[in-house]
Amino acid sequence: MSNKLNAVLAVGLIACGLTLVNARYQSRHLFIELERLQQQSRQLDIDWSQLQLDQSTLGKNERIEQIARTQLNMTPLTPARTQYLTEGVR
Amino acid sequence: MKRDKPFTTGRVAASKGMAFSKSPVLAVRLPDWRSRVMLFVLFAAFAALGVRALWLQGMSTQFLQKQGKSRYERTLELPATRGKIMDRNGEVLASSLPVRAVWAIPEDVLQSPPEKITELARLLEMPESDLRKKLDSDRTFVYLKRQVEMDVVAQIEKLKIGGIDTRKEYKRYYPQGEVMTHVVGFTNVEDVGQEGMELAQQKSLVGATGSRRVIKDRLGRIVEDLGLSREPHDGKDLVLSVDSKLQYIAYNSVKNAVEKFNAQAGGAVVLDVQTGEVLAMANYPSYNPNDRRHLTGAQLRNRVITDTFEPGSTIKPVTVALGLETKRITPNTVFDTSPGRMVVTGKTIRDTHNYGVRTVGGIIQKSSNIGVVKISQLIPPQEMWEMYTKLGYGQAPRFGFPGPTAGRVRPWKSWRPIEYANMAFGHGLSVSLLQMARSYMIFARNGDIIPLSFVKVNEKPVGQQVISPQTAAQVRTMLESVVGPEGTASKAQVPGYRVGGKTGTAEKIVNGRYSRTDNIGYFVGIAPMSKPRFIIAVMVDNPRGALRTGGSVAAPTAADLAANALRAANVPPDSSVTDIIIPDEPLEESL
Repeated sequence: MSNKLNAVLAVGLIACGLTLVNARYQSRHLFIELERLQQQSRQLDIDWSQLQLDQSTLGKNERIEQIARTQLNMTPLTPARTQYLTEGVR
Repeated sequence: MKRDKPFTTGRVAASKGMAFSKSPVLAVRLPDWRSRVMLFVLFAAFAALGVRALWLQGMSTQFLQKQGKSRYERTLELPATRGKIMDRNGEVLASSLPVRAVWAIPEDVLQSPPEKITELARLLEMPESDLRKKLDSDRTFVYLKRQVEMDVVAQIEKLKIGGIDTRKEYKRYYPQGEVMTHVVGFTNVEDVGQEGMELAQQKSLVGATGSRRVIKDRLGRIVEDLGLSREPHDGKDLVLSVDSKLQYIAYNSVKNAVEKFNAQAGGAVVLDVQTGEVLAMANYPSYNPNDRRHLTGAQLRNRVITDTFEPGSTIKPVTVALGLETKRITPNTVFDTSPGRMVVTGKTIRDTHNYGVRTVGGIIQKSSNIGVVKISQLIPPQEMWEMYTKLGYGQAPRFGFPGPTAGRVRPWKSWRPIEYANMAFGHGLSVSLLQMARSYMIFARNGDIIPLSFVKVNEKPVGQQVISPQTAAQVRTMLESVVGPEGTASKAQVPGYRVGGKTGTAEKIVNGRYSRTDNIGYFVGIAPMSKPRFIIAVMVDNPRGALRTGGSVAAPTAADLAANALRAANVPPDSSVTDIIIPDEPLEESL
């Protein structure tokens, strides 16, 4: 009787040990994946900052005015040649 | 011993005979003590091992475990990124990007082929002689160049020069450059704010670096996290009150004015009447914060808040407002300003023309010194001093921006009659342009003054009532008349909008005396008058051209600024007048 019990317990113990090994392995894998994704998120943050900067640099009022004046031949608006529409007035 | 076959070999004989080891001849009798000694030595060795094991396990466990851990655990520095600075519409004004500092171990680098060092010098954009000078050092660590951009670093790494390494750091970029720099400021190479909002908000922008402990595998990958020792906190993003469009307009107006009037410098500030936010603050000359190699003090100076001047005529509405508020005068009270000269305790005060008999409104419109002196003579000095204090003159403003000047207002008890008379038209006290602009809040709003802010304001500010809404409205009417064909600021007219304001001209004080040649022209205005939205203040420092007064240099600059600002902010026009009339000889205010 006690021999049988010992055998069962031994098998249980081995199974337990193996699942632990497996769990450990899985957790490391997932952790590496997490680490990789976090790295990616940091890189994306940097890219986003870079793009924001580019947007701000390219959207500089100075540059827009320059292009509007020289390339598109635009002139500033004056109230003298503007028709204002008021909402709700017929 | 039996010998039956005498010719047999010895082996046979041995096998047949007695065993070799049992040969009594060979038998050696060892002394007993030798085995005992051996036994003792063996036991002693085991005991020593046992003691050693006990020692390692029991006594020095901690030390050993620490040593063990240090062989597979690593502490990673987690850098915190400095917060971004944005304008009120979310446009980025300052942002940090990772770059590298390139450093070297000189001895190792010098062993590489010379053409590689030439190439390195080219990539680092420095003369090869400079690079070699840096490498000619006894030290084992030399920074070659800091804040090198990533693509350059990649090229340097491709060269594979021994002894060259990089360290991660951040570089601050300012996309708006010289236009915004007097508001935003800049940081130094160590990421510490040096000027402007970068300096004022250093604490909240900088964040805190963190660290974590991890286990790394053979390939340097992190396989297990042992928990954070310190959480990193990125710096907080800062949203300023500034509007980059208005800032650009203000900067351009100032820049054009300085060039047009051949002036030494200029400054402008635009305030939001409803919230007290500073929408624009521009100075010229300015500098590019991304390249500060040739920075001069004149470029760095934020004239709008650090320079003081005598407010001159721009203070006259304040004198009049106090008179109206205390019911000592009404808008229709008349004063005789003829003959354009007046003597107060032996000193003569002059007007540029003899304006004759004028109402209070006329005195403001024509900017008559004698008129305001006569009004001030009805008001006790103490009340005037209290008014100045309520408006913030003589007090360092607290709006979270470094280096504001307090200006100077002497205590009222020390005012002599002539000094008080001078103060009524803005001489004998000094203010900054920003203080002057803020004090016009009482006219633009309904008599209350609110704190200024360089950071976006989300809740309604609480004001302090200085004059009644009725007085404010009366002064507004007078200010509007100044900006008319008959007033001193006819050049401040803006097509399509009703604007009001007051010009001023102050002689600069050079070596303790009023200079005959150097002056500052300024203008403080409100636009549009029907529903005040902006307070615009402009100063032009030391114009050297033919035009030199506030009315002829600062007023047109303010008009240009206001016209563009109102259009940019989509403010509907409140006047049908689109063709402005500027007289051939505009009226100039007296100094």
